[in-house]
Amino acid sequence: MPTPNLLRHLAVRHAPFLIASAVLLAAFQFLICAAVGSVDVSGALEALIHSLPPLMQELVTSQLIGGFSPGSLLAFGWNHPVTHALGSAVAIVLAARAVAGESETGAIELLLSQPISRGAYFTAQVGFGLAAIACLSAAGVFGTVVGQSVFGIARFSGGSLLRLGLAYALLQGACFGITMLLSVFGREGGRVASGGFLIVLISYFGEAIGRLWNKAAFVQPWTLHEYFPPHDILVRGIGIARPAVVLGSVLTLSLALAWARFRTRDVP
Amino acid sequence: MLPPMVALEVTGLTKRYGSVRALEQVSFTVAPGEIFGYLGPNGAGKTTTLRILAGLVRADSGEARLLGRPVRDATARLSVGYLPGDLKLYGGMAARALLDLFARFRPNRPPVLRERLLDSLALESRDLSRRVKFLSHGTRQKLGLVIAMQHDPRLLLLDEPTSGLDPLVQIAFRDLVLERASQGCAVLFSSHVLSEVEAVCRRIAVLGAGRLLALESVDTLRSRMVRRVHVCFRGDPPEALGETPGVIGCERAGSEATLRVQGDVNPLLRLLARHEIARLVLPEPQLEDIFLRYFERGRDADA
Repeated sequence: MPTPNLLRHLAVRHAPFLIASAVLLAAFQFLICAAVGSVDVSGALEALIHSLPPLMQELVTSQLIGGFSPGSLLAFGWNHPVTHALGSAVAIVLAARAVAGESETGAIELLLSQPISRGAYFTAQVGFGLAAIACLSAAGVFGTVVGQSVFGIARFSGGSLLRLGLAYALLQGACFGITMLLSVFGREGGRVASGGFLIVLISYFGEAIGRLWNKAAFVQPWTLHEYFPPHDILVRGIGIARPAVVLGSVLTLSLALAWARFRTRDVP
Repeated sequence: MLPPMVALEVTGLTKRYGSVRALEQVSFTVAPGEIFGYLGPNGAGKTTTLRILAGLVRADSGEARLLGRPVRDATARLSVGYLPGDLKLYGGMAARALLDLFARFRPNRPPVLRERLLDSLALESRDLSRRVKFLSHGTRQKLGLVIAMQHDPRLLLLDEPTSGLDPLVQIAFRDLVLERASQGCAVLFSSHVLSEVEAVCRRIAVLGAGRLLALESVDTLRSRMVRRVHVCFRGDPPEALGETPGVIGCERAGSEATLRVQGDVNPLLRLLARHEIARLVLPEPQLEDIFLRYFERGRDADA
């Protein structure tokens, strides 16, 4: 059975990196709960923001954090750069290694000369990558749930947490798909990872700048991060149909293009 | 199902990388139990051919069948062993774990030959417990051979298999290949070292600049080989030296003569035996000389 063998190989190979990322994300969300539950973060932030000019006050309170309730602060934790960096690291590293990285090390030549079809190889890499992202999202949600419980913070509903985890997984899945598309054209994992990182960085800052500066607001719909609204999901209870459609489409389209290239490309 | 009469069938294989011609209309077959030499200088197209056969590179045109199945069918490789020319392995894995990883790709073909191969290639359990990145180049090459052969394949595709092996292990490897062939395994043996191909192969293909220059038996190849013989006489060289059967070129300088001999050297040796010889140098024919001759023949044919 080539595919389970390949999945097992991937799991063994990436286990330390994935476990470390999942633990860090869970710990980070737990720490956010700890900060919200044990320190008067909202009071401190409120005092800090009151010292800002009126325009900045409005901008920060209404758009960046969405208020100072514990729920809003926890939602802010899910939009924190650390949260994004951990998810993107997993998505980008796994996709960059899948084809370009294996071509760079040369191991792909021996792997694909085994009785394993291109389809099985690609499916195993994509399946493993998406499963890893799902586990990472679950770890982050777990950190929030445990943190809320330990520090006595009002809990989010199960549905909200599920939607949050799904939206986060879809965002990172889209990053994975785009990097996979770069990976099937590349022969050097490092370059592909850099390309994926650059795209994610542009998306993140494009969305942030669009939010802060009205003249740049037109950029927002073209960024991936626009479709991951933790505050809307956790505090306002809004569904994720639109993010699911957009991010799901990006993921599907990029993987379809990646497959079209991979099935005919020469190796290494 | 009856085994196929042809283990490997290559028909009109053509591959270009942009404007560079890697292969042009290459065709040959390898029968079960045959060791087929695939000779050519660097850049001749040997590795491209083997990569096409291993399913790694797509030919622009032509067809290749492994054990009766097209190369695009992954199941065709169930009973095929492949050793890349530029072998790269996962450096962080222990050697035994690596062997297990590749063995599991063929659950219906257990690695029955592994222990035998480890023994023949002098791979010790100490080597197998180390991580691959800490092994020498030669030991990694041995690991590659075990990966290719451990499941007792019916077709072996070997790209420069003896690279990095010491002479004793090369002999052991040669014996292994001969033994597998005697069991019915077909072997495609790519090399640029004429003597090692000559030692194990019955037929060879000579490849140059992506084109098949010759496809013939090793005996025929031997008859076409040109040797450069250098003789230093104790006295003047005999007058009849240039007319000796097989001698196609003769240059004299005092008591020394440099001869070009094609095919059988015995008539020349019989002549030399009748004279006092101070020094005789009879080197192995060089592959380059053979390529040059085939290139010249190809040019003549084109003209």
